[in-house]
Amino acid sequence: MNDNLIETSKLTKSYNGNPALRGLNLAVPRGSICGFLGRNGAGKTTTLKLLLGMLRPDAGKISLFGEDGGSEAFSIAARRRIGFVSEDKELYPFMNVGQTIRFTRPFFPNWRRDLEEKYLELFRLPLMKAVPKLSKGMRTQLMLLLAMARGAELLMMDEPTSGLDPAMTEDILRALADLAADGETTIFFSSHQLAEVEQICDRVCIIDDGQAMIEGELDELKSQYRRILLTFDGMPPSALAALKGIDHLRQRGRTASLLTHGNVDELVELTRELGPTSVEVRPITLKELFLDHVRGE
Amino acid sequence: MNLRIHFSSGVPIYLQLMEQIKHAVETGAIRAGEQLPTIRKIAEELTMNPNTVARAYRDLEREGIVEVRHGSGVFVADQPSSASKGAEIRQAGVVLRSAIEKGMALNLSEGELRRVFEEELSRAQENADAKRGRR
Amino acid sequence: MLLFKAWLEVRWRFAFLVGSILLIWLTPLWIPATGVHTSVPAARFWMVIQLASVLLFIFTAIFLAGSGINTQGMYTFTPGFHGSMLFTLSLPISRRRLLFARAGLGALFTCFLVVVMSGYILYLRPEATSVLQALAYLTRTMVCTMAIYSFSVLLSCLLDETWHVTGAFIFWTTVFLMQSKSSWVAQVSPLRGMSLNCYPITATMPWAPVIASLALTCAFLWIAVAVVQRKEY
Repeated sequence: MNDNLIETSKLTKSYNGNPALRGLNLAVPRGSICGFLGRNGAGKTTTLKLLLGMLRPDAGKISLFGEDGGSEAFSIAARRRIGFVSEDKELYPFMNVGQTIRFTRPFFPNWRRDLEEKYLELFRLPLMKAVPKLSKGMRTQLMLLLAMARGAELLMMDEPTSGLDPAMTEDILRALADLAADGETTIFFSSHQLAEVEQICDRVCIIDDGQAMIEGELDELKSQYRRILLTFDGMPPSALAALKGIDHLRQRGRTASLLTHGNVDELVELTRELGPTSVEVRPITLKELFLDHVRGE
Repeated sequence: MNLRIHFSSGVPIYLQLMEQIKHAVETGAIRAGEQLPTIRKIAEELTMNPNTVARAYRDLEREGIVEVRHGSGVFVADQPSSASKGAEIRQAGVVLRSAIEKGMALNLSEGELRRVFEEELSRAQENADAKRGRR
Repeated sequence: MLLFKAWLEVRWRFAFLVGSILLIWLTPLWIPATGVHTSVPAARFWMVIQLASVLLFIFTAIFLAGSGINTQGMYTFTPGFHGSMLFTLSLPISRRRLLFARAGLGALFTCFLVVVMSGYILYLRPEATSVLQALAYLTRTMVCTMAIYSFSVLLSCLLDETWHVTGAFIFWTTVFLMQSKSSWVAQVSPLRGMSLNCYPITATMPWAPVIASLALTCAFLWIAVAVVQRKEY
């Protein structure tokens, strides 16, 4: 049963001949908090803009709330159920907090006044303060309020905690956790902050060079992936690189570091046959998973 | 219950949560019949994903450590833990009996045997603590 | 609420233009040998007023135009206004509606200022004008101004803040210069249409530029809608 709120298939997009997305396959199931990781320029913002209809794909399919679409009407209907927080958190400079909320409210028939008041109080946002006078953290909170009070089923955010101090970051993550606990909101956000993604996400998608490298439940990935550290007497034998089941291999001097998932024990046995002086199997952190998949061989 | 998750460790978070809850049950910090915090409460307190908490609770229920009473919440189950403890205690008895018999065949007195036992026990506990700390 | 946003974007410029009108109305105070309430003002005063009004209409048309997507504010040339564009586009509204809300309000204000200033001019020459002539004057002025306005709307869809104002001035200056060189440009130019050869000065209606302006207005707006719908942000 497919209950993906977001699904893309072979999504492709280029700007002036430079490929930004080269066949991205993505799936975000209902109720999950999915972290979208990638280096700068890997295609994260492009993906979000494509999902929101700000850009049109060169090729590939987009599916939101279980329906395929590409027309403006489809995009407008989808945006009624989506809350978006942009990377630079810019709002109208000629409005204050109250006016911004009053402006946004009429577009959403399912606007939740109770959530609006709850977050106004929680974030302590001053209604009369002009938007340009707000700090980045408060602008983030205001955008979050606007995104959540509209009764959105899907929240899409572009680097929500960038530029925020740890206390404010924690406030935002807690607000997300609280939102997800209702079970009615799915959250999809791009980020550079691996620690936060590890904390709050149950799914991750790592994108590099316009393609998805890894995708899945974070806890599952941590269960499946292992790092095997080998030390040899001399240089590691060339047969090592030929072994099947290695996702990523790094050799330095007399040591070799392998990344693998799936049948770890079998690979460990195979490496033992090559006669290393030590074999160590270690679990893997998200940081290692990320760096090994975006730095490449 | 004092829960602490290391989000950046390689250990899956739901496993860490399960281990900590099991530990709390074993040490008596939370007893049979007592209610565990709601999923939302734990998610909020630790600022973590509620789905992960839900998964931990589900797996704990599957293992018989807790029981989910729909509408009321999650409670620590009583029977399964003590029953399995009984079996383990009996198993330990069998292991220790043969060790004691071997010790007595070395002509050691009861007092000497007891001292050796306590020394080995504390050394084993030290090693176990060291391993847990390293992880 | 889109109209509220459009109002907030436009209000200071509108206020500035209203102020300019008042300034023009006060010119009798410092231009000698004129009088607002004499039946025939001095020829020089009349020319100045006409020129001032034409310039006012052009400025109004250029400064009040907007697309609703690239947000504008009090200062035309302030950077950092573009981020909110993503916020606007993430709302569940069609781009066409965004365009028409903003362009519509700007058009309303432009027409209002045209009516007010034209009213003043007609007031200065009451004996030359019947109601029909007054309406003719008003119509041709409005239609020609709207051609300039809709061109600015189109530019605001294509270019950002700084450039669409500059671009408009460059374009219309070029048109003005070409009017004397090319006869067909002079025939259809809205600038020429707005100029002095019309009621209430002469008893003619410059049909060619007026019809051309109407056609141009429709064309520019139609293209603006197409641009805004196809553009990638």
